[in-house]
Amino acid sequence: MLSWDIAVSRAINNAVPRVYKVLNEHPYIPELAKRLRGAKLEVLNNLEKYVEETIQSVKNNGGNAYYVHDAKEAQEIVGKIVGKEKIVVMGKSMVAYELGIRKYLESLENEVWETDLGEFLIQQANEPPSHIIAPAIHMTKERVGKLLKEKIGGVDENSKVEDMVAVVRKFLREKFIKADVGITGANAIAADTGSILLVENEGNIRFTTVSPPIHIAIAGVEKILPTLADAMIEPLVQSAYAGLYPPTYVNLTSGPSSTADIEHNRVRPAHGPREFHLILVDNGRVKANKDEVLREALLCIRCGRCHFHCPVYRAIGNVWGDPPYSGPMGAMWSYVVDGDSKPAMYCVHSGNCKEVCPMQINIPRVLEYIKNKGIHNDSGGFNA
Amino acid sequence: MPFPVDKRVCSSWAKDLPRGGDTIIYTSCMYQIEPSVGTFLKLLPSISSLKGLMPLARVVKPSKTQLERAYRILNNIVIALKKSGINTGYLYEDEPYSGAILLEMGFLDEFGEYARKVVKLFKEKGVKRIITVDPHTHNALTRYKEFVNHDIDVVNYLELVNYTKEVKGEFTIHDSCLYSRFLGLREKYRELLRKSGIKLIEDEKITGKDTSSCCGGPLGPVDLKVSEKIAENRAKDLEKLNKKLLVVCPICYVTLLPHFSGEIKDISEVIF
Repeated sequence: MLSWDIAVSRAINNAVPRVYKVLNEHPYIPELAKRLRGAKLEVLNNLEKYVEETIQSVKNNGGNAYYVHDAKEAQEIVGKIVGKEKIVVMGKSMVAYELGIRKYLESLENEVWETDLGEFLIQQANEPPSHIIAPAIHMTKERVGKLLKEKIGGVDENSKVEDMVAVVRKFLREKFIKADVGITGANAIAADTGSILLVENEGNIRFTTVSPPIHIAIAGVEKILPTLADAMIEPLVQSAYAGLYPPTYVNLTSGPSSTADIEHNRVRPAHGPREFHLILVDNGRVKANKDEVLREALLCIRCGRCHFHCPVYRAIGNVWGDPPYSGPMGAMWSYVVDGDSKPAMYCVHSGNCKEVCPMQINIPRVLEYIKNKGIHNDSGGFNA
Repeated sequence: MPFPVDKRVCSSWAKDLPRGGDTIIYTSCMYQIEPSVGTFLKLLPSISSLKGLMPLARVVKPSKTQLERAYRILNNIVIALKKSGINTGYLYEDEPYSGAILLEMGFLDEFGEYARKVVKLFKEKGVKRIITVDPHTHNALTRYKEFVNHDIDVVNYLELVNYTKEVKGEFTIHDSCLYSRFLGLREKYRELLRKSGIKLIEDEKITGKDTSSCCGGPLGPVDLKVSEKIAENRAKDLEKLNKKLLVVCPICYVTLLPHFSGEIKDISEVIF
């Protein structure tokens, strides 16, 4: 049995029953998912208006907000904020990966550390991620042990998972404390308040958003929701359909840190970051949003559930799609951001993904549409 | 057809059915040619060296045993329909292909164009109701309306048949992705199987609606290796439940056959 077969079988056997259990025990979640879809569609139908509102709301909180068209623009802004020879800690962000932010910052002689365990392993192995929320899913625990032994020591291929987690924890603590800049993504952004929501379990995102003096959040425009109440739903739905409910942490950030403890006058900064920057990313999304079928891809909340129900992903997962976008959702996103229709050709239209998608995206139909576009050389990505 | 086929291969199963009529059984030659598709796919890389495609019609031909099996399945379906009070005609060598492969490979524009031609032909033949017998054809026909206006009723035999013979035994089932998750027929064949007396061995993690994987067959024209890997995974899972497997699709049958260590039957071979 190949390493991928072993790793993915273990992950499927762990994740799939856990999602059913979560949904069974918390029947309000599908209702929340339905509301979330409606709220996301409201934004997509009026995207320009909500982007403007979000930018203004972030500024009202004392933060900085930017709208970028492509990777180059995103890199330039992040590069200006970070500068050179700094220590940067990153919370896993698929959009940051999409835009090549880590590599770019490294090229400016910054020391950059991924802090999500899976993404840290990916960085150490210098490999692309293979799943949207479990980027190192293609590695068996034996391989992880071997990799950590080579890179930071303290464990080997026979070590327990708990011990592997412990050595990375010890290694990264020092980086968190010394870091000049923390970079994260955003699971949801509230247009009316300029707040970002981040869901996680490890605690690395809390560290990343609070410990360094500067916090940069990078997210696609499709992450915007009309209100903070809508945005609060996303982390619950995302974690539930990822089988990780309740999430250990949900982080809400509205601008730089603040205090109102003296005469109830709200001033910034306080103990947390003195600067907050939100970078809103187009990179193909705006064009996709104008297309009735491709717009559906923008509803994806990156729970990664479709991966585990897809026969093609199970067979070839870690090489299917353009990193970081793998699996059925990745086949859609490879087209949205890279104009690459080849991954869509591998859709076998089993329909499992549409059955389990919390956003009720008919992924096979979107991929069928992309296939047709690819066959007729109609590229979709902003960069294409 | 997706590759050249001697029309007699498609139509020889029917002897006594009226030619044409308001209501026709429509095979799209799927059960008949599917056993040859593997050979066709293996020949694909060398097709450019052939002088025209017609020699393929001789090379890519199911064996006598394969054809007898396909013909038996189709005749069993006709018998089940008759016993359910439904008589059909058949277009014999005038029966067109559905265009399913165009749709499934993403040639939407071409599929739409093809659909218009097929609808025109059905209209010329006076067809008002089409009874499909496999999921891929049924799926293709139900999608014609996205591309061409027509008032021809498309119905699957599973929606019409209320007859089964009595069968004893335990089987597991591999669902057709299209029947199960796109066309709403998952419970129809389960009802028929229950009626026949067959005990289905199921497991939510393997044969559940969300979890029952594809056989991999439709990916064959894109990547035969990956298609076979999916089939291997699927067969391995199904074998855990039972060594006797039922399928409802000719593509599933031929794709899983080399990988499943037990016996595979189409439900129409067993319950009619």
